Amino acid sequence: MSANTGSQKGPVLVLQDIVKSFGGVKALQGASLTLNAGEIHALMGENGAGKSTLLKTLAGVHKADSGNITLQGTEFVQGSTKLAREQGIAVIYQEPSLFPDLSLAENVFVGRQPVKGGRVDWSHMEAEAERLFKQLGMTLSPKTRARGLSIADQQIVEIAKALSINAKVIVMDEPTAALSSKEVDRLFAVARGLRDQGCAVVFVSHRLDEVYALCDRITVMRDGATVGSSHISQLDEPSLIKMMVGREISDLFPKIEVKPGEVVLSVRNLGREGQFKGINFDVRAGEIIALSGLVGAGRSEVVRAIFGIDKFDEGEVVLNRTKLESGNSAKAMRAGMALVPEDRRLQGLFMSSSIAKNSAITVLNRLTKGGLLRKASEIRTAEKWGKTLQLKYADIHDSVDRLSGGNQQKVVLAKWLATEPKLLIVDEPTRGIDVGTKSEVHRLLSQEAAQGMAIIMVSSELPEVLGMADRVLVMREGLLVGEYSRDKATPESVISTATGSIQTL
Amino acid sequence: MISTIQRLLKVREVPVFLALVLVIVITGLANPRFFSISGVQDITLGVAVIAILAVAQSFVIVMRHIDLSVGSTIGFSAFLIGYESSKGAPLWWCVLSGLLLGMGVGVLNGFLVAYLKLPSLVVTLSSLYLVRGIFNEIAGGTTITNTDVPPFISFLGRNYLLGIPYLFIIAAVLMVIGGLVMRNLSWARDLYAIGSNPSASPLVGIPVARRTFTAFVITGGMAGLAGAILLARFNTAAANSGAGLELNVVAACVVGGVAIAGGLGTPYGAVIGAVLLQAITLALGALGVPQFWQQAVNGILLISAISLDRYLSSRVKPTQIMRVNA
Repeated sequence: MSANTGSQKGPVLVLQDIVKSFGGVKALQGASLTLNAGEIHALMGENGAGKSTLLKTLAGVHKADSGNITLQGTEFVQGSTKLAREQGIAVIYQEPSLFPDLSLAENVFVGRQPVKGGRVDWSHMEAEAERLFKQLGMTLSPKTRARGLSIADQQIVEIAKALSINAKVIVMDEPTAALSSKEVDRLFAVARGLRDQGCAVVFVSHRLDEVYALCDRITVMRDGATVGSSHISQLDEPSLIKMMVGREISDLFPKIEVKPGEVVLSVRNLGREGQFKGINFDVRAGEIIALSGLVGAGRSEVVRAIFGIDKFDEGEVVLNRTKLESGNSAKAMRAGMALVPEDRRLQGLFMSSSIAKNSAITVLNRLTKGGLLRKASEIRTAEKWGKTLQLKYADIHDSVDRLSGGNQQKVVLAKWLATEPKLLIVDEPTRGIDVGTKSEVHRLLSQEAAQGMAIIMVSSELPEVLGMADRVLVMREGLLVGEYSRDKATPESVISTATGSIQTL
Repeated sequence: MISTIQRLLKVREVPVFLALVLVIVITGLANPRFFSISGVQDITLGVAVIAILAVAQSFVIVMRHIDLSVGSTIGFSAFLIGYESSKGAPLWWCVLSGLLLGMGVGVLNGFLVAYLKLPSLVVTLSSLYLVRGIFNEIAGGTTITNTDVPPFISFLGRNYLLGIPYLFIIAAVLMVIGGLVMRNLSWARDLYAIGSNPSASPLVGIPVARRTFTAFVITGGMAGLAGAILLARFNTAAANSGAGLELNVVAACVVGGVAIAGGLGTPYGAVIGAVLLQAITLALGALGVPQFWQQAVNGILLISAISLDRYLSSRVKPTQIMRVNA
């Protein structure tokens, strides 16, 4: 078996029934993947289907709880990135992490520089890097420092690294997400070259056109398990989408039907250089609008600009007949807008402050008297919202980082609901929280909408989008490309709009 | 020719070196005595101690760490060497005891930073106080006088080879050794990688903790050895020897292009930075500028050095691409 070199066709890597849990959450439950030498293999699935966990197991970042990984007939040793690399697995991430101060040649050989007579052999290292770069069609000098390199070139450096260790399996995890069309073409040429050399290339992308243009075979994952594997010519786009989405959207979402009221927010021709442009939509009182699309489509950027965290270059935002200024979030808050950000640890909470302080921080001026903060009213506000949100805590003075993820999210919600906003923007409101808390958050959003609040919800989770929204807006690559009313929005229509196989606007 | 000049200017050490030449020329024109042999000897002799500590310090700074404890280590070591000698110990034993003392401090720093993951700024600030405290307790009011200093060390401090002080020659040799090590040994290249991208380093198989530990032991060991140089320079040592040197050393490194944010710089730059600071101090003295302003100028120089760094690295922002052409 050990005589099996990369140029021979046949299974080079077999992952079988991989199971992996984090705490109580099963990320993988029976994932399998078979890679042949000399093929480009697409790994598909929704966000959260378990692709990343599976690839990280292969990269040596995680260790599977059970299941087998066989590499060229021998058992693959798990749990060390270094060993994974030595066994011939290379992973190219969406945003590689190079060493910005080192030269490109050193980046290729970092941690294993060629040594001659006890000294680093610079001329050999640079010549070897130059040879690999040339093979990959990159013209930069290996003596250049990595700082400031485009993402596309950084990926090429990573691929050169993979080649220099004679990788048998090269994983590309959403490599095209940040590339221009021209750079995508170059990457595809490189990937095909690797395939023709006998490497097995795993390609992860949400763009269906890319998958069909590049890949030979395809494996689909859902809910941590492999649901099917097929030659690409035997699986058309609609069947692929159906395989990815699979389940029926259940009734976990306590959506209350509301008759929409007056227009609360209107966004006209909003644009920000390099991020999004031509964004138009209205939100009415009582409406929940879902802003859907792939990660990186520009959804978070749009809501950040609406709220005034980032400036916008063109267009206008009107809230309750008040025209908002670009980059003025204080004015947006005064006009009745609130934003619950995506990363609650970084942007939403003061982690080492108490629950009480966090809940009341947005309404401090209402709680002050003669310039002094009245502690009792701070606590009263916090307790009132704690009760409404069924917050589970030991002491209201405990610091927030002692709460679970779901309860932290409730504190963030509390702090913004305390301002009694007319328009609430929530960015990924249920990311990383358990199912029970999830439905509580959904119930809460639904109730607030029923009482007349307008809500914009950014979400990557399709069931959440379809279950909660009155209208679904779909973004792709900085543009608003689709709008579906609640009865028209289906998993298939939203996914194909987000990935670019359909355009409705 | 032009491209050679352009390439040269890209080397981090070159601008500092040009600044140094500029300072010397201007001061020399204003006060010709500065150009005299004794003027040059003033600079080279005065800078030797800081230069050696700066070479040592560059090992930890490129890793995005810092070692403030060197000020106490060097003083304690100088005292220890003199004390052992006064008790009749041979020279090799005196120097070895200084080296071991320094490595001991390095082991403590390295262990706390590398394995307990404590921030090096706080760890080495603590050991700065700790070592100074123990030193004071042991030294008390004792002063090492010139009769206690080993004769060979005393000789080095007062003599010249072809007009160059021995102490500066020692510093230059250590600089070259340090420079060759950091350029050519693979474990030293790992230090640059760690400073440049700490989170990616373990992913490429760099043993981060072991490298960090080693670097602190090297820095500590060199500070211990530098105790002999400090003793040679002043021919005396007491409980306050070496106090405050740690900040001069960090300043020399930063001015010499050893980036406090890690990943960049060489022992050569660190020494050039030390020489520049020394030359400026002497130059301002030669020009009759009050002492207060000499310190202020050092401050301005430091701020200029880090501002220049920030400016240069902000010019090469990573390109952000987004397709808005669906």
